[in-house]
Amino acid sequence: MIITKKFVYEPGEHEAEKASNSYLMSLIALIAALPLPIINLLATLFFYIGNRKGSFFVRWHCTQALLSQFSMLLINSVGFWWTISIIFTEEVLSSKFIAYIITVLLFNFTEFAATIYTAINTRKGVHVEWWFYGNLTNLICKN
Amino acid sequence: MDSQKVDMFIMSNGKFFESHQVMQIRDRLIELDDSKWSVVQTMQFKDPTISLIVSLLGGSLGIDRFLIGDTGMGIGKLLTCGGLGIWTIIDWFLIMGATREKNLEKLQQVL
Repeated sequence: MIITKKFVYEPGEHEAEKASNSYLMSLIALIAALPLPIINLLATLFFYIGNRKGSFFVRWHCTQALLSQFSMLLINSVGFWWTISIIFTEEVLSSKFIAYIITVLLFNFTEFAATIYTAINTRKGVHVEWWFYGNLTNLICKN
Repeated sequence: MDSQKVDMFIMSNGKFFESHQVMQIRDRLIELDDSKWSVVQTMQFKDPTISLIVSLLGGSLGIDRFLIGDTGMGIGKLLTCGGLGIWTIIDWFLIMGATREKNLEKLQQVL
């Protein structure tokens, strides 16, 4: 799922710090704005915009964090509005809903663990590529 | 310029710049004409740690952005109450890098 690769160059101290911060960003925003999934994406997006002129290593990790947050937004938004509709409308609690919520929780916990792991390793200057997101980032982010 | 002078400058001002840019700055300073040394030597740079402290205390009013010279962003932050708190949090992580970039821009005006 998570592959450690050698980056095209050896990132500097401040570059590693910035790249690691892009992952921390989503975690901090998660605590600050737990019920609304879009806040995380916005926080990561603004961080990406702030670093769009940064070095390749920083931009690469900002893009990976942004992509992971984007898929989180889609999955979490469906879960969020489904729950709201059950609470406030005539929609009933079904097995499908419970199954979906379990999937959402599993996905969130996996993403949460992966983000913490990546933030720690990126801070040390290690280049960490995620399954699927890593390849996608390679396509989007060019040196 | 004399490499000893440049090394002395890097030693005392290195913390104001991104670590990966320090070597480029050193090379460019060595190529620089001796007449500009007095200008370079007397330049005042913003401390990234100070801007982080200001960001933590007055980030929601945009004071950190005013401090580093981003007046437009500062006003934007002030009017939106720190982007409803989100921008403030993002800036806690961005401000040190932004300060170092501003310092580099300032130095580049002389180089």
